[in-house]
Amino acid sequence: MIRSSVDRQPWGAILAFLLPAFTVYTAFTAYPVLRTFWNSFHKVLPRSEEFVGAENYAALAQDELFWRAVRNTFTWACVSPLAEVGIGLVLAMALYARVPGMRFFRIAWFTPVLMSYVVVGIIWVWIYNYDWGAANALLRALGLGALVQAWIGDPKLALPSLIFITTWMWSGFNMVVLLAALHSLPSEVVEAAELDNCGWGAKLWYVIVPLIKPTLLNLLVLSFIGKMKIFDLVWITTKGGPLWSTETVSTYVYKRAFEWTSFDLGYPSTIAAVWFVIVLSAVLTLTWLFRTRERLEY
Amino acid sequence: MRRALLLAVLTLFTAFAAGPFLWVATMSVRTTTEISLDHYAWPEKWHWEKFPAAWFNSAYNVYFENSLLVVLGAVAVLTVVGAMAAHCFARYRFRANRLLYFVIFSAIIFPPQITIISLFQILVQYQLYNSLIGLTLVYIAVQLPLTVYILESFFARIPSDLFDAARIDGYSEWQIFWKVSLPIAAPALATTVILNTILLWNEFLYAVVLITDEAKRTLPLGIQRFMGDQLEDVGMIATGLMIAIVPVVLIYAFFSEKLIQGMTAGAVK
Repeated sequence: MIRSSVDRQPWGAILAFLLPAFTVYTAFTAYPVLRTFWNSFHKVLPRSEEFVGAENYAALAQDELFWRAVRNTFTWACVSPLAEVGIGLVLAMALYARVPGMRFFRIAWFTPVLMSYVVVGIIWVWIYNYDWGAANALLRALGLGALVQAWIGDPKLALPSLIFITTWMWSGFNMVVLLAALHSLPSEVVEAAELDNCGWGAKLWYVIVPLIKPTLLNLLVLSFIGKMKIFDLVWITTKGGPLWSTETVSTYVYKRAFEWTSFDLGYPSTIAAVWFVIVLSAVLTLTWLFRTRERLEY
Repeated sequence: MRRALLLAVLTLFTAFAAGPFLWVATMSVRTTTEISLDHYAWPEKWHWEKFPAAWFNSAYNVYFENSLLVVLGAVAVLTVVGAMAAHCFARYRFRANRLLYFVIFSAIIFPPQITIISLFQILVQYQLYNSLIGLTLVYIAVQLPLTVYILESFFARIPSDLFDAARIDGYSEWQIFWKVSLPIAAPALATTVILNTILLWNEFLYAVVLITDEAKRTLPLGIQRFMGDQLEDVGMIATGLMIAIVPVVLIYAFFSEKLIQGMTAGAVK
């Protein structure tokens, strides 16, 4: 009975189950992706399309703003995962030691990820406000008035300030995930490390990290992907300014497609196509890198 | 002693994580005049009337309703369509199964730019631009990979004996899905419903590209617009923020465990 169910597949049912999903996928994911690649070789004006070959790609290679945006996005995507996962790991370790009120902490720390970037962005625009923002208010209260900054108004500090916001948002999330990973470990292992009386740092690095390595790597990749896509937060807080210091690829594509009055959708499509390839290869490289290394160690 | 130090650090970090929201909450019931006197004071008089004011005078009722329609519509369709595909991937061992699954799953890492310009063109072409239906369709496509991913991993754990038993009892393939798979998968379904609801409730990029009509704006767009128009009216913006936050907080209050499960799904292996 079981064998026959494997051998004879009910193709009609399979088709019926997959049809809705693939209709949606084809119409609103696959086709738009292909169309973007097609656009990238054309000049696309509201009423006319003209084939321009690789012209857009040549222009993109010379486009300093684009490379600026790429640098900013990569900086963000490389700094954030380390900061978020690092902080998350330390917090998870602290909480693993069974602190009273654990449930409450867990819920409180998870809250920021549930808020939209729009809400978070507006709140942080206020926090970074020069005159009455919490950041400067705190500095003044601590007698460090000399360190008061314009934060997101200063081209040098704007990007780090935004990175700080995402770190604030996502550390709690990473902590909760890592906590789940820690709790799924056989408790003897962790306790054995405690009995061996090795230091806290040594325990973390030699016992815990190797054990939860798959989770750690997943979180790093997840955070990396998220930052490569980032748009909302920048759009609400700085719109890429001041002086393009926080321009990301997402905001640049949006500006070129819908804000600049060139009306050409071809060039922004070229940016999107190139970026698509970059993101995909970056993610594939990361997963490949992490996978081989893991195999080497075990 | 170490315990106390630990607790102090935890409390500090908690204040750091939740403080900004508490701050906005206090500002949402204070007038802008009161706020500008002292931005960090506790509300003396609770100005609840600011909520109906924002709701009716600043069109938050319209934004809220639009968001609700789009999110509920998209989540309802997503759950059924996603569950059907996930059930199929988990249940039938046919050729190209893994390939098709990978095709859908890989869309998780696509940067939105790769589709958004063409989606704009396509929706304009089919008169779905500036329409809540158009946005809903796009949202379904955007969340489909994650939904299929979460549900597939759950369906795959249902023992196949159950299906064989159902088949012997004379259930059709569709009945097996509807009467066996879905009820068992209820916890996973709940997770995806809650997760998708919150993610779409907060969605901004697709909305800002595909909706420009004042009457069609969803909440994130409405808030951004209000922020741009009334830059100085901090108190009223805070009220608007609270209107957007409250539904999320309510969902979170009731389903925090489910939600954390959903958000962390896949990250733990």
